[in-house]
Amino acid sequence: MSEGLVMLEARHVSFDYHRPILRDISFSLKRGTVTGIIGPNGSGKTTILRVLDGIVRPLSGEVVLHGEQPLAALKRKEIARYIAMVPQNGGVYHYQTVFQFAIQGRSPHLSLLGFETTRDEEIALEALEMTQLTPYLDSRVSEISGGEKQRLLLARALVQQTEILLLDEFTANLDINYQVELMRLIQRITRERNLATLVVSHEINLLGTFCDAVILMSQGTICYQGSIQEVLTQEHLKQIFGLDFSVRSLAGGKVEVLPIINKEELHEN
Amino acid sequence: MKRISKGRILGASLVLLGIWFVIALLSLNIGSVPIPVRTSLRLLGGFFLGDNSGGDPLASVLFSVRLPRILLGSLVGAALATAGAAFQALLRNPLADPYVLGVSTGASMGTILYSIFAGWLGFAAAGGGMIYARPLAAFLGAVFTVWAVYVIAGSSYRASESSQRLLLAGIVLASFLSSINVFLLTSTSKADIRGIFYWLIGDLSRPVDASIYPVTALVFGGFFLIYLFSQSLNLIGMGETDAMVLGVEVKRIRTCVYVIASLITGAVVSVSGPIAYIGLICPHMGRMMFGSDNRILFPTVFLFGAIFTLSADTVARTVLSPTELPVGIVTAVCGAPLFIYLLHRRGGGKQ
Repeated sequence: MSEGLVMLEARHVSFDYHRPILRDISFSLKRGTVTGIIGPNGSGKTTILRVLDGIVRPLSGEVVLHGEQPLAALKRKEIARYIAMVPQNGGVYHYQTVFQFAIQGRSPHLSLLGFETTRDEEIALEALEMTQLTPYLDSRVSEISGGEKQRLLLARALVQQTEILLLDEFTANLDINYQVELMRLIQRITRERNLATLVVSHEINLLGTFCDAVILMSQGTICYQGSIQEVLTQEHLKQIFGLDFSVRSLAGGKVEVLPIINKEELHEN
Repeated sequence: MKRISKGRILGASLVLLGIWFVIALLSLNIGSVPIPVRTSLRLLGGFFLGDNSGGDPLASVLFSVRLPRILLGSLVGAALATAGAAFQALLRNPLADPYVLGVSTGASMGTILYSIFAGWLGFAAAGGGMIYARPLAAFLGAVFTVWAVYVIAGSSYRASESSQRLLLAGIVLASFLSSINVFLLTSTSKADIRGIFYWLIGDLSRPVDASIYPVTALVFGGFFLIYLFSQSLNLIGMGETDAMVLGVEVKRIRTCVYVIASLITGAVVSVSGPIAYIGLICPHMGRMMFGSDNRILFPTVFLFGAIFTLSADTVARTVLSPTELPVGIVTAVCGAPLFIYLLHRRGGGKQ
């Protein structure tokens, strides 16, 4: 399949949980593309991922795979062969080894009482190689660092060998160097494997640097979506976050965003 | 990075089956009337070859007392151990066990209520279609308890907290239900207080009736079904969202496994009474030796359950010979310290 093809699509999705969470959300994820979602806390970012992966059903609207297949008609195991999601605070089973954890990504491909084959092991090792976890194969999951744990969750998702990758707050609580390293890795894997990747994050600059398209959300609705330079503008960010931003355009359609926290200081200079 | 394979599971199972066989053979020979190994082998051989000529006085001890008891103990142990491993996988807590969760006590309440009503209605002697009635009553008692434990515990968004609340609710409910059991029994029975008392602790000395056939079928069928879900249970162990992401129909499988585990617990408790801690001890042994992958854990735990309960019952009926202890005493003596140990280790956050 060629680059730019629509892989997963939300069509007028609404979702309630005691109160309206999502309202008339429509967007699509394309092959070979990293899409970012940004918005204040409680704007419904995580819920969108859960709807896209079929974990919760939308109140109205639908999620469509490959432009024709409604997600609601698929079994969980089938969905898990098309869509991999790294949940926020993904579970780590502390007495497993890194390898045992990663190879669980093969589960959607196993039969009811199936066992992993040598081929499954190779796929797991390849993903661990890609995420630079090969030195830790036999380490316990409880022994590795926070950044390594995130890479391990990514490795498990890659082991699923899906076409679509959803990442929820993937770089949260990590040092800035790890954040950059992880986003670079995600961008590279998206290109190499021709994936449709969606990243939910609070880090405007990471999204502004590593995404190809971005969605700006507030209070359950999509306010703006499109290319980085169209969406991440001073006016839009001011509207959503209520802060002034200095937005600098970079080469390749990227932007660098800086919130202006202390206005007086700025005026004095 | 040892991989779980069919060969490894088969190998481990065969070794454990061999151990079970040796212990069963020893257990056949030990007792108030010692039977030499050679005699019991000869009698067993004769039985399987259809040659019952001997008329040996030891044959009746062997075939109508010891062999049924050995098989019953093994069946009950295998079932309770499997149910324990299943509850542990569902609650993500190694302290979960049908006895601790109150499921066994609930099942015994079902059995007692059935006996009382059956006595009133005049079909106390199990026969014909009634052989299903007692295990069914025990199952209903077990399912009722699981439901009540959930209601008492309430819901909590934090998974670890909710599993602890479920355990506490189970412990409270178990003590409540066991006092109801004692009340029901002492207010309705005239005789055999000792037998009742033994049964409430878990006892294998009572002769079995025809209900053992459906019970056996339920245990093996239930084990097989739970085993089919073992990889799904592995993933559920990581948390609900992770399991769903990896393709598990979490809610459906959880309900199925709860029902099946309650069913096999109810089935065996209707025969043996609520034997304590087997579902705690045997999965722990299995995990120590074979790791925590449910695909190898369930078959080995099934066999560990048979081995452990058979051994415990052999100790129970010989240690104060000629007086026989209920097997529940022996399992509680082993299980309570293990429970405390596991509780402490969890507190330290180590595995």
